Amino acid sequence: MDLTPLWEWFRWLYGATGVKLTIFYDAFDRQRFFDGFLTSVRLQAACLVSSVVVGVVGAWLQGSRLKPVRLAVQGYIQFFRNTPPLVQLYFFYFALGYYLSYMTDEGLRVALVSNFAWAVICLSLYAGAFNVEIFRAGIEAVPKETIEAAEALGYSRLRAYVYILLPLAFRISLPALNNNLVNLVKTTTISYAIAVPEMLYVANQIWSDEVNVPEMMNVLLVIYVSLVGVVVWIMHKWERALRVPGYVS
Amino acid sequence: MRAGPYGTTDLPVLLPFRPGARGAAEPAPGLGAAWGVALALVFALSAGIAEAQSDAGRPSTVATILKWTPLLAQGFALNILISFLAMAIGTAAGTVLGLCQISLLPPVRTGSWFMTQFFRNSPWLVLLFYCMLLLPFEVNVGGHIVPLPDWFKATVGLALPVMANVSELVRGAIRSIPFGQWEAADALAFSRRQILWMIILPQCVKRMTPPWMNLYAILTVATPLCSIVGVNEAMTLTGDALAAEARNELLVPMYAYLLLWFFLYCYPISRATVALEKRFAVK
Amino acid sequence: MTRRLLGLGAFALAAAALATLPAAAQTLDKIKQRGVIVVGSKADYKPFGFRDPSGKIVGFEPDMAADVAKKLGVKLELEAVVSSNRMQFLQQGKIDLMIATMNDKPDRRQVVGIIEPLYYASGVNVLAAKKAGLKTWEQLKGKKVCGIQGAWYNKPVAEKYGADFISFKGQAEVETALLQGNCIGWVYDDTAFAERLADAKWKDYEMSLPTIMEEPWGLAVRLEEREGPWGKFMSDMIKEWHRTGRLIELEKKWKIPASAYLKKMHEEAKKAKS
Repeated sequence: MDLTPLWEWFRWLYGATGVKLTIFYDAFDRQRFFDGFLTSVRLQAACLVSSVVVGVVGAWLQGSRLKPVRLAVQGYIQFFRNTPPLVQLYFFYFALGYYLSYMTDEGLRVALVSNFAWAVICLSLYAGAFNVEIFRAGIEAVPKETIEAAEALGYSRLRAYVYILLPLAFRISLPALNNNLVNLVKTTTISYAIAVPEMLYVANQIWSDEVNVPEMMNVLLVIYVSLVGVVVWIMHKWERALRVPGYVS
Repeated sequence: MRAGPYGTTDLPVLLPFRPGARGAAEPAPGLGAAWGVALALVFALSAGIAEAQSDAGRPSTVATILKWTPLLAQGFALNILISFLAMAIGTAAGTVLGLCQISLLPPVRTGSWFMTQFFRNSPWLVLLFYCMLLLPFEVNVGGHIVPLPDWFKATVGLALPVMANVSELVRGAIRSIPFGQWEAADALAFSRRQILWMIILPQCVKRMTPPWMNLYAILTVATPLCSIVGVNEAMTLTGDALAAEARNELLVPMYAYLLLWFFLYCYPISRATVALEKRFAVK
Repeated sequence: MTRRLLGLGAFALAAAALATLPAAAQTLDKIKQRGVIVVGSKADYKPFGFRDPSGKIVGFEPDMAADVAKKLGVKLELEAVVSSNRMQFLQQGKIDLMIATMNDKPDRRQVVGIIEPLYYASGVNVLAAKKAGLKTWEQLKGKKVCGIQGAWYNKPVAEKYGADFISFKGQAEVETALLQGNCIGWVYDDTAFAERLADAKWKDYEMSLPTIMEEPWGLAVRLEEREGPWGKFMSDMIKEWHRTGRLIELEKKWKIPASAYLKKMHEEAKKAKS
């Protein structure tokens, strides 16, 4: 479908009212803004999945019989919960990234981990620290008798965790988990600081080039609120579908 | 009953859940201190590595960091100030908004619900940019020109999401009080306002304190975001110090140092929150 | 859902309409009345503007700002700005004057009042590892290059040569990203590279491409005051700087390699006087 008339309408709008939405009529800006939108969605999806994985693994390790393992998990949680995510991101990207690069045969230094990957790693660890505690609370809410029954049936600790404890705990923790995941989706904007080309970053480039701050700010706010709104809505549906009948938290 | 996606688990067995069990696996307070020490060690170690890497003839890493410490402390004080103010403004506005959410007037209820959801769903950083770039630098209040410094605009930007979160906390806390109490008080001829102020809200305060403290901790660790919009707080000043020194080996110790500052401030708060949660837990 | 989104959009637009208020005029009177001039300057652009350990912003441009304050007989207050917020700060009236390594561009002239004559000049170049073997700008096609957010040439370089920009807020971030190999080169003002190339840390790096897009730097006041008393005052100030050779003196003080532009402007100004 040819959208040129629509784009031209926005050019006319600029001429007529001064509302400068270059993201519609300037091909370069349109492309980079759209790419930014896609990057945001990809970043959010990657962080959501890996933070849940971190949470599940962390909660399992926390129930370990080995004290050093429990201590390490506890230390990880306390570190990530009590320090600013932005500084963590800087610390990982600028400080640790320096040691994680290699020399090519031509003698050029190349980074091992990309900006995008650093953002996913760092944000997943940050949100994961909260997820571990959320899952742990969910696991504690599962009656001991259930585990004992599983053990009586010959389940190992890992199998009981995966097949019995986790599904139950997951459903109990879902409201708290959703809350944290929505926070994570909002927090992904901080990857702006390490130049991950997501929407906020691209919008900033555009308003620096075109000097149209109010327009871009409004576009950004509307898109982000809708994006987060969609996530909240999906989570809410999911929460309802998975609610444990008769269970009141 | 509907079977869950994990097979045909008999779910009602979950009924005897005691919320009091939450937080039982928290470490002893001494352990937290141990982790603070561990973080300090990471910092010391990184400073040591940096030391080994720096060229002879340059001032040592520790000396350099100490040289910039007074400046960082100034910046950190601004972070704390911003967090206090944003929390105060956000709590005051959020309480009003939360009470509006249970108003008997449908327009007030819907309007306040819109506002709460809107600010709850916007990323903090985007709100910060919004306030920073679009608020005027001074306002005219009854003929007086009141300047709005950038750190204050950032405070407003951070207070907006705090407000929305407090609004939800207030609404949730009020709804968590059994409805029978409203009916009982009504039967005793209390007015709606009296029921709210004398019976419901005093109970809410207790329930709200731990999540409210959690919110404060989240707000505090969000204050470095102000550096992105150009407020001269600890994070900005760390960056400027690194730019002035132009020594790459300083990056790890400097940022570790900044992390340590925040950890030392936030960790006691999070311990206190857990302790309160335990004490207030419904037995 | 749709209704909710529409409601939110309308709310955002209303908020924006409220938020954009015009700034007050007549800066010169206000400065004199306050006894303080607020100048926006870079804090991470050594040696043009950077911080000393006490937190004070010093450098070539802060010295210029100090000259202005001295001439007006008021106190100087420096406000740190970055490329992506300097024009907004001026528009909002947060700063009275901006001396922040800004190139003079037509679209910028529509937003802020850039004062004639201009006071410095720089071109665009790339700082890259010698091993990268950059010879032409076309080699940047599809490559990751680092940049500073808000630099005007990021977009043309990306459009014209197909470079893929990773832009950061400040120079410290870019330096690190370049040294750890997140990009093959750093596209920025050639003036920012001169000092670095003298440093041993950058001995494996070079500025091998021909400098392009050479543009003079302009200091700016609010757009509506360009022709007013404040703009006029600053214009006279710059003329005097060029005539007396004060800028060349500052260049020497901050160990900046002598620029042909300043020399030319100094000679022209002297001729115009005589």
